[in-house]
Amino acid sequence: MSTRHILLGLLASGPSHGYDLKRRHDERFPQARPLAYGQVYTTLQRLVRDGLAEVEGTDSDGGPERTMYRATDEGTRELTKWAGEIAPPAPFVTNEIFAKVVVSILSDGDPAGYLRAQRAAHMERMRELTAVKAARGADLATVLSADFALNHLDADLRWMTTTAARLTTLTAEVDTA
Amino acid sequence: MSNGDNTAGPLLAGRGLVKAYGRTEALRGADVALSAGEILAVTGASGSGKSTLMHCLSGIVRPDAGSVTYAGRQLEGLPEKELSELRRTRFGVVFQFGQLIPELTAVDNVALPLMLAGTDRTESRSTAGEWLERFGVRAQGELRPGEMSGGQAQRAALARALVTGPEVVFADEPTGALDSLASEQVMTALVHTAREAGTAVLLITHDAQVAAYADREVQLRDGVVAPLGVTA
Amino acid sequence: MTTSLGADLRLAWQLTRGSDRREWWRIALTATGAALATGFALTAGALASLRGDHYTVSFAAGLLSEPGTRSGVILALLLLLVPVLGFLGQCTRIGAVHRDRRLAGLRLTGATPGQVRRIAALETGLTCLLGSAAATVVSVPVLAAVWERPTVLTWVVLALVAVAVPVLGATAGALALRRVVASPLGWVRRVGPARPGRGPGRLFLLSLLPVAGAALLAATTTSDTTRGPGQWHTPMAVFGGLLAVGAGSVWLSGATCRVVGRRLAVRARSAATLIAAERLRDDPWAAARAHAAVLLVTVAGTGFMGVRHIMVDGLRRDEQLGESVSYYTTGLNLTAAAIAVGLLITLSALAVGTAESIATRRRGLAAQVAAGVPRAVLNRALLLETALPLAPSLLVAGVGGLTVGAGYSTVTGADVLPWSALLVPVTVYVGCLLAAATALPLLGRTLRPSELRHT
Repeated sequence: MSTRHILLGLLASGPSHGYDLKRRHDERFPQARPLAYGQVYTTLQRLVRDGLAEVEGTDSDGGPERTMYRATDEGTRELTKWAGEIAPPAPFVTNEIFAKVVVSILSDGDPAGYLRAQRAAHMERMRELTAVKAARGADLATVLSADFALNHLDADLRWMTTTAARLTTLTAEVDTA
Repeated sequence: MSNGDNTAGPLLAGRGLVKAYGRTEALRGADVALSAGEILAVTGASGSGKSTLMHCLSGIVRPDAGSVTYAGRQLEGLPEKELSELRRTRFGVVFQFGQLIPELTAVDNVALPLMLAGTDRTESRSTAGEWLERFGVRAQGELRPGEMSGGQAQRAALARALVTGPEVVFADEPTGALDSLASEQVMTALVHTAREAGTAVLLITHDAQVAAYADREVQLRDGVVAPLGVTA
Repeated sequence: MTTSLGADLRLAWQLTRGSDRREWWRIALTATGAALATGFALTAGALASLRGDHYTVSFAAGLLSEPGTRSGVILALLLLLVPVLGFLGQCTRIGAVHRDRRLAGLRLTGATPGQVRRIAALETGLTCLLGSAAATVVSVPVLAAVWERPTVLTWVVLALVAVAVPVLGATAGALALRRVVASPLGWVRRVGPARPGRGPGRLFLLSLLPVAGAALLAATTTSDTTRGPGQWHTPMAVFGGLLAVGAGSVWLSGATCRVVGRRLAVRARSAATLIAAERLRDDPWAAARAHAAVLLVTVAGTGFMGVRHIMVDGLRRDEQLGESVSYYTTGLNLTAAAIAVGLLITLSALAVGTAESIATRRRGLAAQVAAGVPRAVLNRALLLETALPLAPSLLVAGVGGLTVGAGYSTVTGADVLPWSALLVPVTVYVGCLLAAATALPLLGRTLRPSELRHT
């Protein structure tokens, strides 16, 4: 995920300063990892360096002085291009769960027990996310981002269920290989 | 998890339930307990005995062995008439489809349990209207189930299951025939209403996303409750 | 696409063999109905082939020897075909949903409309052939034993009847499927109550026409040879009136079901009444199909009882009788027996129809029981579905029949009020409720939780 483009996107609605951008990001993407301040300021400086954003001026607003940024025309073009590009569908399968199942078989561990525990952990996380989603007054952005995570966890779960049912064959295959 | 076996005692409990249909053993000693106000998901692959478990717990089917206790009463000894009354007054049921009478309008369908309890038609219909409103389908009140969308019909079915203020709602794949958006609406409506009213829900599903609405999950495998998590 | 009749026949046979038990019920009952129809038509045909009064038939106090009374017997036999047709109509509905789906599936896999229609026609036609063959096989030796030298005409008539029954059955089978053929998808996927408007049993009405025509033809050709036709004007008028009232009752029963359903659906106070009323409102013609024949029998029965009351009354007083009293009473008793048989067939049709309606809805009914709706409520709803619309229409049918009796009373100048006719509508009403009640045990057996299992 590109923090550059997300900040550019937030700037598209008008000039803003770093603290405000961080706050809006965390609001819009409630289930995402919160942005660190340092990351926001570094990214803004790089956007300015690349000519995608520029300093609008400063704004004190009664408190300490803050630098306001705004997107340049090139920045807007770059944003449009990025938003239209498709995201590569799962380019690298880095499947930790599968790796653990295979390692567990190789080391004479308990892959079935591991899968059950992993499933329970997944379900626990799904219940949390569902509670967030089904809470009264949850806004649509919250619901949708929770849904995104839920669907991915659900996909993992289904894979784990199928794998658990085929462990015997897998064990035979891994052990003879 | 300890199956809610605390001092207060579960609201509904099945112990050592065995049920066979011909040579097929649907349940082979299943134990399950549901506390008051709890939402419990029963998951498992198709054919694992989920529906049969629900049928035994709700008194629709008598188990071959084992016992079902509801609020301290053993269900085995009860005559069919009392079981029927229990289901009508203390329990609510929602199936994948079919629990609404196709010839009756949504309002009349929801009013039916009240009428069976002796409330007069006008009052039953007005209460039914309020419940339909709560589930966002009041506008469809005068439609018959076949004229509503699947999601609307299921929400009307929820209204019918909850209208008598039951202690337990049995929901057997309530979203099985719905797309994910309609499914989300139905589940949210069910969970909100159950929590407000303190109604316990036994949710039968094979769908993890539906099961995630529950407080707790038990998994059936080959007719018995399978261990969950690391404590295997 | 052209396929041979043989291939269609094989397919029809395979489909039937692979079908479930209820379809075998349909086959058995349809064959029985066809056998009854053939039996009545064969007897009527054999009697109609007699000319003049040179025959001495040793049955029924000589009633069959006379061309005049003979035509009355023929008429009665032909009229008996009406309840038989109603019965057959109900039989074709057993497992109809499954069959429609099966044939629609056939359409979806690429069978032409013509092919599907042929297969359906073959299924029904062969079933009717089974019944008609059985009836013919029994009738022919009986005829040969009773009657030393049957004429060529008799044999021709017999052959015609034996062939006509399956042919008509096949035609009706093909006609009944016209909607499946037109929209296979709609019929495969149909689950809810949304359905195209059903006709008021147009097939039933259409099939009444040839029966009525045959009856009139038989009556006129056999009766005017010896005696003057004047003597038979009154019975002819009676039967004509019967047919008119009967045709009206088909429409009446449909209209009653709809009106009763609509009125009661709004006012119903109990759950059972509400369910019954809404079902009537939803599909008034389903009930009307079964009730039309009931009304016909009621009109016939009430009318006959009226006429009988007057005639018996006249026989007691009149000393100048042309024949012995037993000649007349045998005639009357035979007619009464015919009407009783008609009533029995009609009640069977009603029972079959009710059973079928339960079998079709078994999944929904099981869900109701699971939700705690008491069986007693469902039982009551089922009985009310028969009882509610039949009460007003039987009243009208009774009045219609009484009018026939009163009319006869006026024509003959016998100043008698045929009160005994009033028993008929009451008896029929009770009979209908009992017939519907025979299906109740089925309701109990149907409501098994296995019906709740989806997938």
